[in-house]
Amino acid sequence: MEYISLFVKSIFVDNMIFAYFLGMCSYLAVSKNVKTANGLGLAVIFVLLCTLPINWVLNTFVLQPGALKWLGPQFAEVDLSFLSFIVFIAVIAAFVQLVEMIVEKFLPSLYSSLGIYLPLIAVNCAILGGSLFMQQRDFTGIGEPLVYALGSGIGWYLAIVALAAIREKLGYSNVPKPLKGIGITFITVGLMGMAFMTFMGIQL
Amino acid sequence: MNTNSNVYTVIYTAVIVVIVAALLAFVSSKLGPAQDANAKAETLRQMMAAARVKPTEDLYAAKNAEVLQLYADNIQEAYTIGLDGQKNGELSVSKDKIDLVSKLKPQHKAILAEGEVTLPVYVFKGNISVIPIYGAGLWGPVWGYIAIQPDCHTIAGAFFDHESETPGLGAKIKDEPWFREKFIGKTVEWGDTPAFRLEKNAEAGGATNAVDAITGATMTSKGLNEALNVWFKAYEKHFGTGALLHMLEEHAVETTPNAEEE
Amino acid sequence: MAQNLKETILNPILKGNPITVLVLGICSALAVTVQLKGALVMALSVIVVTGVSSLICSLLRNTIPNRVRIIVQLVVVAMMVILVDQILKAGEGTYAIDKQLSVYIGLIITNCIVMGRIEAFALGNKPIPSLLDGLANGVGYGLILVIVAFFRELLGSGTLFGLQVLPSGYIPNNLVILPPFALILLGCIIWVHRAIDKDLQEN
Repeated sequence: MEYISLFVKSIFVDNMIFAYFLGMCSYLAVSKNVKTANGLGLAVIFVLLCTLPINWVLNTFVLQPGALKWLGPQFAEVDLSFLSFIVFIAVIAAFVQLVEMIVEKFLPSLYSSLGIYLPLIAVNCAILGGSLFMQQRDFTGIGEPLVYALGSGIGWYLAIVALAAIREKLGYSNVPKPLKGIGITFITVGLMGMAFMTFMGIQL
Repeated sequence: MNTNSNVYTVIYTAVIVVIVAALLAFVSSKLGPAQDANAKAETLRQMMAAARVKPTEDLYAAKNAEVLQLYADNIQEAYTIGLDGQKNGELSVSKDKIDLVSKLKPQHKAILAEGEVTLPVYVFKGNISVIPIYGAGLWGPVWGYIAIQPDCHTIAGAFFDHESETPGLGAKIKDEPWFREKFIGKTVEWGDTPAFRLEKNAEAGGATNAVDAITGATMTSKGLNEALNVWFKAYEKHFGTGALLHMLEEHAVETTPNAEEE
Repeated sequence: MAQNLKETILNPILKGNPITVLVLGICSALAVTVQLKGALVMALSVIVVTGVSSLICSLLRNTIPNRVRIIVQLVVVAMMVILVDQILKAGEGTYAIDKQLSVYIGLIITNCIVMGRIEAFALGNKPIPSLLDGLANGVGYGLILVIVAFFRELLGSGTLFGLQVLPSGYIPNNLVILPPFALILLGCIIWVHRAIDKDLQEN
């Protein structure tokens, strides 16, 4: 039950885009049409789903205060949490690089559709943000970070595909000149965010 | 020099990583104590704000060292209890080595799982006991400290904090003094379900264990209400069934051997 | 040269503003614009991080192996962010603000402005112009942050820097402090900016 609640909450209430503005840069840049948005969205889900548990394991068994206790009692006082930003981003960058190489080598068809987005993802705040939220909320057990990663990834995916669909239609509307392009997009995202706020009342 | 050769790349990366790690480790070891002191002082401020040792603004204006001194001057004893209400540990209160149970989330989980817990009770001068509460607000955790009068029934004061509630809405639990002041003089009905009610229009019924929820911050209030009740339940055996009253009496006997009642 | 330097400093603040024109670095920023104080600390942190990271990367520019370029940049930026975070946490006065900014300080690492300026400018220019470019971009970014925070705090809480400004009869608009309004406000700022500077309009 707790997992379902976390899952639904991370998709709708704690939506990466509408509640935390995470991954905004690529969100705005790659949402011009649904097809590319789809590709980037899926890539984000995948990378989140893989890096978040890795970072959780690192955080729990290496970084957080007292995490090194399993090495021996003399390590119980060690606190490496000051390294967490750098470790998280290194894991993400290395993982993205690795996936890119593997996909390019073994799944060329997938690479041609998804590969171009992978480098973008290394510096997508949604990915690092996921890891930082994981650390801040001190999840217990590997299940919570997994569910959280899946939920927030899907939330991000929903947000980008929805915005891309709206932007495709926006092309036909008569927007005031200074507002054209990025200006109206911001306002659209704001209105979508308001719609998503209605999910706040949901409690499971 | 060829900066693209493999050997160069590897050595270069290694050197950069070592330099950065060394620098960060150095800075962190230098600043670590100051950070811990900040965190500890913050917790002490919140506890003393609940116990109303001094007005909240004064506590927040005070320097860390003053806060530690103030705590050492005002605390009588601190100990931990289990879910059975019995003492299962001591917390040091001497000024140089103040022990706190500062991680509330694991305790919260243990309470819900009815497992092993070490719930802190901080007894300030005048036998005012301060206990923590913890729960989930809308965006992140909410927590707080409740001070209880020696009668084990009346609330002497409260302080609430949160990690990321909406400023101006849920954040009012911390930012608006009138909210925490409402708790003063209310009671905790140990053993009742719920022991305390933080709900819409709760005060209208005239119950002494009720406070109105904050308008516009429904989810935060709901989370705080749950936090209060889950933790009150956990402390029920300690305060409700007289375990503490008994202890306080013993304590009184120990410290005042010539007491006339004896 | 003097002309060039002036250009380096002024361009990121107005014509090439990282937020309203280049649309970079919105990620970590908008969530901290509910109150002016938080926005100001965030802005200062970003200015320091962009400036110093650009300087360091520019100093290293001839030695960095091309293949690990991105990683080295990330390491430098992450190091700066950790330093800023640690210092904020250690200061008695700044501890509370650091807590309020929570994960968003860490997210400066993935702030596209920082990496973007290193890639686009610092790796091809001398240290001093790089430092100025980084600082100026940080200022351009911080400026927007402070403008957004000004309106959100004023309308949302009736205060500025926590001091009551609007008469007590003013009922704070709760919508303004919710996240979506930051986006709408930013849309409006872009609108004004582009209405004044017609060159920036998109077709």
